[in-house]
Amino acid sequence: MNDRRAKSGARISLAVAALVTLAACGSNAPSATPKTYTGTLTFASFNPFTGPDASFGPEMAAGCIPAAHLINQAGGVLGHQVQCITVDTRGDPADAVPAAQKMIATTQNLVGMNGPSSDEALATVPIINRAQIPMFGDTGQAAFDKSTYDYFWRLTPADDAAGIAMAIYAYRKGFRKGAAVFGNDLSSQGNVPNLLAAFNKLGGKIVLNQSIALDKGSYRSEVQTLIGANPDVIFTEASPQTNAAYLSQLQQLHGMIPVIGTQPTVQPPWIKAVGGAIGKANLAHYFAAAQPFAPSQGPSWDVYNKALLASGADVPQPDQWSQDPYTETDFDAIVIMALAMIMANTPDPAFYNKFISKVVADTPGAVEVHSYQEGKDALGAGKTIHYVGAGGPISMDAYHNSSGAFEMVGYTAAGDFPQVDTVSAADIAKYKT
Amino acid sequence: MSQLIPAIGFGLITASILAIAAVGFTLQFSVTNILNLAYGDIMTACAFAAYVANQAGVNIWICLVIASLFGAVFSFLLNRLVYFQFVRRGTKLFGMIIVTIAMSLIIQNVLLAIFRPTFFSYHASQGPSYTFGSMVFTASQLAIIGIAALAMLAVHLLSTRTKLGKAMRATATNPGLARSCGVATDRVIDAAWLVSGALCGIAGVAVVLNTATFSEGTGATFLVPIIAAAVLGGIGQPYGAMLGAITIGLASEIAASVINPSYKDVVAFGILIVVLLVRPQGILSEVAAAKEVAA
Repeated sequence: MNDRRAKSGARISLAVAALVTLAACGSNAPSATPKTYTGTLTFASFNPFTGPDASFGPEMAAGCIPAAHLINQAGGVLGHQVQCITVDTRGDPADAVPAAQKMIATTQNLVGMNGPSSDEALATVPIINRAQIPMFGDTGQAAFDKSTYDYFWRLTPADDAAGIAMAIYAYRKGFRKGAAVFGNDLSSQGNVPNLLAAFNKLGGKIVLNQSIALDKGSYRSEVQTLIGANPDVIFTEASPQTNAAYLSQLQQLHGMIPVIGTQPTVQPPWIKAVGGAIGKANLAHYFAAAQPFAPSQGPSWDVYNKALLASGADVPQPDQWSQDPYTETDFDAIVIMALAMIMANTPDPAFYNKFISKVVADTPGAVEVHSYQEGKDALGAGKTIHYVGAGGPISMDAYHNSSGAFEMVGYTAAGDFPQVDTVSAADIAKYKT
Repeated sequence: MSQLIPAIGFGLITASILAIAAVGFTLQFSVTNILNLAYGDIMTACAFAAYVANQAGVNIWICLVIASLFGAVFSFLLNRLVYFQFVRRGTKLFGMIIVTIAMSLIIQNVLLAIFRPTFFSYHASQGPSYTFGSMVFTASQLAIIGIAALAMLAVHLLSTRTKLGKAMRATATNPGLARSCGVATDRVIDAAWLVSGALCGIAGVAVVLNTATFSEGTGATFLVPIIAAAVLGGIGQPYGAMLGAITIGLASEIAASVINPSYKDVVAFGILIVVLLVRPQGILSEVAAAKEVAA
């Protein structure tokens, strides 16, 4: 009896051991030695390329492509050439989740990525993190302010910080009655809570908080409600077509009211749509927007801009992204990942991921580098490096976030975005709830 | 209440545009038996045809005529060169729906390749504003309402006072019987594509005059309310499509005004669901019932 029990116990133990072994094989625990890679390494731009936020994708790809060109010109990474691919999330979690799964399952030598955006971040970050792919999100969602995902990194401030910058600027300009008119998508709505709280805290009053459906033919009833609320400034972010229809119908029914937008409202498609709808002169007169402060000057930006402008064969109208902070930081992300691979001596993400913060850390004795080539040379000479990005200095916190100040930009009929004000990181912190 | 009257005015503009598009859509379906889900993309293609003419300095109202002609020819060719080839091989209703979805994607991507992913606007003034009570209309909106009324009248006269119209109705009701009675149904179907394509072209330009800007995907975003208006009225029924368009147009604007703008579609489609629960065949019913496409 005891013997049979012992045999049965042994069988159960063996079965459990087999199951545990199988489970371990199926898990994503890093192995002790890095994977071996042959051929070209791939970086993905994982963002909406179609749908209401279709402008996000080209903005991101415009950062990856020149970075890849520079890395390849410098001899590649550890003997590998690199390439950029685009993965369309359509700005919808329902499409983004299968797109992420397909990207992970089928992309050969996928070693890192830019994205996701706010539209699909909550749904896809856990999947990508589980696959151990380092991702530089351009999501502004506050949920990632204290991210615990090891492979999630962010070089741009959260949307809620943009909302505060908009409120501070509006108050400085003397506006006291604000209307929040935001698209009912996740990305746009991320700005709203802190905008409302900060504007009220500053002493202003939000007279209308309107969440509008995207890409409808008519917003006249919404505009009529806005006119009834009598605001002296409109805070907004919505898709280009939505804002174009809304503001042109405001112009028809009442006349323009000053508008303060978020960073997506300085993207070329938004400017083209809204400028075409209300006229560039009106846009120049009534419009300002908050965007993460990127100096758009200095040696790192020079490297970026030169490579960007030389990428015309792959990036349509590359000059439109020259001063775009998101494109600049998307460029930086690729360079940082490539330098981290050199530091780790492997392109295996499970090994190089922890070197990402070391690439940008301003440690004593570190050599300041402004390009992949400079970083590669310094690492080759056995030095510690401190990469300063095209988007400015980077300082990663414990949650893999690097945030900073905001600049307020206007618009000129000639198509420029002059800086009209800055809102410091300290000011933003003061009004953050 | 102060918001309600203006909202009705705004609803009339939306309803006018929807009516032009929905009547074209439903006329196409009733006569040809093809539920053309590429309709929205043909609207966009027509809007681009008008854009090209407008950029060359042509007045926007002449551009609207150009778009209408373009829509007629485009739809006719689309049927002759693509859809008819499948119909001839015996492809059924659901198979044809898949074909039209494929055409929708093809048209959208061809437009994307030609015009690039950006936004476009016409050189067109909205004209002065006119106030009727607490309703406000621009000259261009009044023109759209007028064009919609004329188009509806023309469809009514075509279907009731002309041989072609009677032949269309006969073909819509029972193509086999119509053929055996001497109706040249192939020619009638060609005519239906031409007429509905012309309405599609007008609707494409009217949509853009309303939204002020457009891209390769604009028409597709309007397909859902167009189908909703057509289904609500009783698919295959031009008069039903007019009623459906007025219902959807008014409901969405009033909802945006008195409830919450985020729910304007929810309210409009809620009404659609309720009506279809009571009358599965839509408000006007005979073709939908005959073709067994009642909801």
